[in-house]
Amino acid sequence: MKNNIDRHDTDILIIGSGGAGLFAALHAQKAAPGAKITLAAKGLIGKCGCTRMVQGGYNVALGNGDSVERHFMDTINGGKWLPNQDMAWKLCKTAVERIHELENEIGCFFDRNSDGTLHQKAFAGQTADRTVHKGDLTGIEIINRLMEQVLSRGIEKLQEHRAIGLIPSKDGSRLSGVLFIDMRTGKFRLVRAKSVLVATGGGPTMYKYNTPSGDKSMDGLAMAYRAGLPLRDMEMVQFHPTGLLGGEGTKMTGTVLEEGLRGAGGELHNSHGARFMFDYDAKGERATRDVVSRGIYAEMQKNNTSPNGGVYISMSHLGPENVAAKFPGMVKRCADSGFDLAAGKVEVVPTAHYFMGGVIVDPDTRTGLAGLFVAGEDAGGAHGSNRLGGNGVANSTVYGGVAGDVMGAGFDASSTLSEPDEHILTAEIDRALHPISQKPGNFHLLRDELQEIMWDDVGIIRSKINLERGLRRIGEISDELMQMGVAGDNLAFNLTWHDWLNLQSLCEVSELIAKSALMRENSRGAHYRDDFPESGAMEDSYFTVARKIGGEIDVSREDVQFSIVRPGESILGEGEPETLVG
Amino acid sequence: MSADGRILKVSVWRSDAGAGFFQDFQVPANQHQTVLDVVSWIQQNEDPTLSYRFACRVGMCGSCAMMVNGKPRWTCRTHVKKVLVDGFMRIEPLRNLPVIKDLATDMDVFFDKWIAAEGVFHPTKSRHDAFASIKPDNKARIEANKAVECINCAVCFAACDVVANNADYLGPAALNRAWSLVNDARDGAQAARLEAISQSGGCHNCHSQQGCTNFCPNELNPTASIAGLKRKTIAAIFKRGQHA
Repeated sequence: MKNNIDRHDTDILIIGSGGAGLFAALHAQKAAPGAKITLAAKGLIGKCGCTRMVQGGYNVALGNGDSVERHFMDTINGGKWLPNQDMAWKLCKTAVERIHELENEIGCFFDRNSDGTLHQKAFAGQTADRTVHKGDLTGIEIINRLMEQVLSRGIEKLQEHRAIGLIPSKDGSRLSGVLFIDMRTGKFRLVRAKSVLVATGGGPTMYKYNTPSGDKSMDGLAMAYRAGLPLRDMEMVQFHPTGLLGGEGTKMTGTVLEEGLRGAGGELHNSHGARFMFDYDAKGERATRDVVSRGIYAEMQKNNTSPNGGVYISMSHLGPENVAAKFPGMVKRCADSGFDLAAGKVEVVPTAHYFMGGVIVDPDTRTGLAGLFVAGEDAGGAHGSNRLGGNGVANSTVYGGVAGDVMGAGFDASSTLSEPDEHILTAEIDRALHPISQKPGNFHLLRDELQEIMWDDVGIIRSKINLERGLRRIGEISDELMQMGVAGDNLAFNLTWHDWLNLQSLCEVSELIAKSALMRENSRGAHYRDDFPESGAMEDSYFTVARKIGGEIDVSREDVQFSIVRPGESILGEGEPETLVG
Repeated sequence: MSADGRILKVSVWRSDAGAGFFQDFQVPANQHQTVLDVVSWIQQNEDPTLSYRFACRVGMCGSCAMMVNGKPRWTCRTHVKKVLVDGFMRIEPLRNLPVIKDLATDMDVFFDKWIAAEGVFHPTKSRHDAFASIKPDNKARIEANKAVECINCAVCFAACDVVANNADYLGPAALNRAWSLVNDARDGAQAARLEAISQSGGCHNCHSQQGCTNFCPNELNPTASIAGLKRKTIAAIFKRGQHA
């Protein structure tokens, strides 16, 4: 039996065109100049994905008192001792080389101090001025420059190719290739490769309010789960406290109003005009993301809400002209959509932002499946229970480059591609075609429902009762989705078909999040249980591991290995100050 | 949807492999609606086969530009109020690019020209070297910075009549990027870049009609960048003449 679909071969296949995917392509080409390299993306190369949306910047220790050791300790403390320490260390250490590569070889130009050196600022949770940036649009500079390099180097492009399934070899010993839908034609295409990098990015868009790019639906993690790979920290969803709230039916809703607004003195008010954050934390609006998100959520639970169900951010007391001068991008963005950030009040709501969980990999991005590598937001471990602002783009660019190095170094021109398991290939094709066989229905309402469930029951504040109810409801949505279809008369550039597939990926990953959240009976970083509000002893830290066993989700706990530093200790030298930020 | 009872009349270009037509839709209005919200509403509620493209939702990725009442715009950041004429708007795919289907264009030609204009950094240092020391008040850097915040949305490419009439013309975005690199002291391929942008499709085709500058959502001035390139290429020819 051989499925009658388009088949395409390459040497190194990279899925995703954010910081991880683009860096992987460049590094793989350099490490293996003779290899054919193919870059596949769900949207346009350099345009889809989330690295481009990075506002704040890139964390890297560049001296002036700061050190890789200090960056590492901040990352471990920020992640509440859950990070894989070897991965966190490699992240901090390699960021130094990567930022030099970005400036000197890729062509990024980051903001300078008046003496011509790189400007660095401190985000919450950092003990040094560490974040390199280009204004508040750092991601655009990084991705534009990477994209130019990739487009000029003869790397094969598969744009608007949506990955559907990881297809193992016939004997199951390794990965054979990846099944895609060529979205422009609606046809299936199997791409075989000697090594594959999954760098699709996370992007928790199963929440009512979310920040990621519209193409994000956690396909990478859904594919990895179906392929049987173990996933860690799946309960760890980071919420950003201030997403724009524009009412139903507005895509702008959920997008980030930057952290700096609160740092500069922005106030959060409830519907009664009360500045409520000091009721929750002595630092008020300047508390960390998780604390402010929970504070806003608590106000929402008390129904002290604005017309669209959030709270207000108010900047006008700082002087509208000052606000407009200091945050021109944010003010213009709000104005374009009809909001006056400089002089008025803007409705905001916490919004699902980043996914700390992901595939278990080693520090060389290898997975348990031969031939498969994972980097960026799809990989778990580097951030533990919480990601520091500025560590996200550092992580994707560092580990994307590592993946390219490792895949390139392992390239063997004389080895052959492996034959795919045609049964699994058939199953994945059938899964993708399932909605075409069903009567068309308005499943967009199901997506709204899933987002409500995740927000209410698997969101910012969790409990056993809510999580169990959430799981039941996710199951009901998944079942209902299977009964609803998409008209199949024209599958070319059929966004509705892809909306269906997006929703299925989101349902699968939502269940993983809820089950992992049940398994974590304490509150750490982004995960808060009001039935287990204590963090638990740091020495006894465990992380959750979810995987598919016998067709079902199995979640277990594994002890964190303190391979570099133990709780209560530090690798900073004697006499090093606790913080360098004045 | 927090609809307020008003109805928008929307005419949308439909085409699949060649011929096309306008199709009319009625869309409920709401307070904070963008053109992209309107297009998505149609796809999710009226016609599931409508094709279009978007990604970031906030004016960072440049995937969603379309012609709205004849003008190129980011749809994600264009409030309906701004473009509505008597409760009506017409939405078409971005001009000067091949259409894949309906409102989705093939942007490869735009990016091919970006690369052809040498809109690519050529390093002179490596990751093992120190950062270039460049002060913020450096004149060339100020010039480079003015041009650099382009998100390659192709709005300027669609606005440009020279692009419409000359298939070889590199277009405003590519040339604007080349100008930012001409002013990048770290770059090592300046001669090749000037060569690339002096070719038959290069900067001298620009008639300074300023369509690009008038429509750039980021308020960049590609016309000025192209004028800079013109001066530079003429100076380079003059310089070559002196040395000959």
